[in-house]
Amino acid sequence: MAKNWLTDINDKLLNWYGIVGFLILWQIAPTIGLIDPQFISPPTTIIAYAWTLMETGDLFIHMAASLQRTFLGLFLAVITAVPLGFILGGWFPGVAKFLRPLMSLLGQINAFSLFPIFILFFGIGEVVKISIIYWSSIWPILFTTIAAVQHVEPIFIKSARSMGAGRGTIFFKVILPGSAPAIFTGIRMGTNVAFLMLIAAEMIGASAGLGWLVHNASMNNVIPRLYVATVSIALLGMGLNYFMRWLESTLVTWKEETAVE
Amino acid sequence: MMSTKIKAESIYRIYKVRNVEGDNSHITNHNGHEGLLALDNVNLEIKQGEFVALVGPSGCGKSTFLDILGGLATPNSGDIYIDGKPVKGPGLDRGIVFQGYALFPWRTIQHNIEFGLEIKGIPKNERKDIALKYLKLVGLEGFENRYPYELSGGMKQRVAIARALAFDPEILLMDEPFGALDAQTREVLQIELLRIWEETHKTIVFVTHSIDEAIFLADRVVIMTARPGKIKSDIRIDLPRPRLEGDLKSSPEFARYRHELWELLRDEVDKAEEQASENIRGAAAHQEEKPAAAWQPQKQSAV
Repeated sequence: MAKNWLTDINDKLLNWYGIVGFLILWQIAPTIGLIDPQFISPPTTIIAYAWTLMETGDLFIHMAASLQRTFLGLFLAVITAVPLGFILGGWFPGVAKFLRPLMSLLGQINAFSLFPIFILFFGIGEVVKISIIYWSSIWPILFTTIAAVQHVEPIFIKSARSMGAGRGTIFFKVILPGSAPAIFTGIRMGTNVAFLMLIAAEMIGASAGLGWLVHNASMNNVIPRLYVATVSIALLGMGLNYFMRWLESTLVTWKEETAVE
Repeated sequence: MMSTKIKAESIYRIYKVRNVEGDNSHITNHNGHEGLLALDNVNLEIKQGEFVALVGPSGCGKSTFLDILGGLATPNSGDIYIDGKPVKGPGLDRGIVFQGYALFPWRTIQHNIEFGLEIKGIPKNERKDIALKYLKLVGLEGFENRYPYELSGGMKQRVAIARALAFDPEILLMDEPFGALDAQTREVLQIELLRIWEETHKTIVFVTHSIDEAIFLADRVVIMTARPGKIKSDIRIDLPRPRLEGDLKSSPEFARYRHELWELLRDEVDKAEEQASENIRGAAAHQEEKPAAAWQPQKQSAV
């Protein structure tokens, strides 16, 4: 019985062994002088530093700043790209086809490389960071929305028409729900890209945010703070991804479970 | 005999195509429409409450004809009349059941059945009652809160039948509804369909590939020729009803009908096969159908 109980726990912890092993190595190596603790702070130092940053509330201010920008930029991208995608995919498929190469080209332009231009236009304030998010997330959302609208099964539309559904009904009751899962995939892709871009942008021109925290730590040579910021970015990025998946599975309940990791 | 329910009068339908050299149904008709003739002067009268099966080789236009009856496609010339009134488009006087079920995956079974009722503007409580009533009729009580992906093919098709019946159309148009099901499920659903038909007194037009299915179900079997689709013969099936017995299919009368229909159909199947291989050799004719909706301009299969 005891053995069973142990294998149970073992199964549950299996995913964590790698992380735990890594943390132990990380802790031991600088402590015993295998690597320079000046460059690689051991986890205990980082946690202690994170604790002080949390006590003063600084860490949360930076997290909130980054999150706020992400959500605002993302929100703006969603409310423009989704309707635009519906219009192009649904009403003007010819135009969508015609614009496709141009849009893929624009989508390939790294928002970060446009940052100097954005600064010229929008100055150094919040708008420029939000526009980075906007630029990096709007393209994947737009592409997937157009594709999603055009790939709603024709048989669904035919079936709705056979029951006398008009264009409005078909749009709201067939096209919209039918394309929702694919659109969500686009939004999730956009979120990931946007968050990465934001951190980079914050390193150049910001006075708050996790990217700024990295930059500031590096300028002042406060290495533990740099690690705190890096770990926070990773955790926040993961959290964001989980949040988007949760949102999707809450809104799209009708799909067969497909490995939500 | 009862009154005429559906009347199809000289229906012609032409597909727009590219690259159809060598195909004998490539035409330019009197209206100047150029393309592939799919339906060539189809005339058909169906009585109130009658069960008519439409049989023909692949690509003969039988599904197109059903789409025209349903108002989902328009003929290039000719008219469809229901109760003497010309058909202008789809309507809730006709319910269609498709081979691919076409259930909306984002709706529960109950809400799928309610779709037509919503369009009809029936209030929510009433919709639910009606949906549950038809769910019971097709033998799926208790499945109202399931989603389509949780159901087997046979169950999905039962739901599709319930959905088509729920808004109480007088005519049920069925486009190879059991074509994707395994043989056992198919037989069960055939018997179920006959029971439902006897309970509801609908007029049914049933497209199928299967001669056996047509004989077992229908009052009349209409045989169509290979493309261009014409009506080749119209056979009355005088088998006793209710046809719920499993051994009807092995009776001598059934065999006689099967033989008769197969003799009529054989040439057409051969012809359709020839056409198909010619098409492949001739670098594939791209069929350009009329759009299903403005949303979907490139895609729709008609045949």
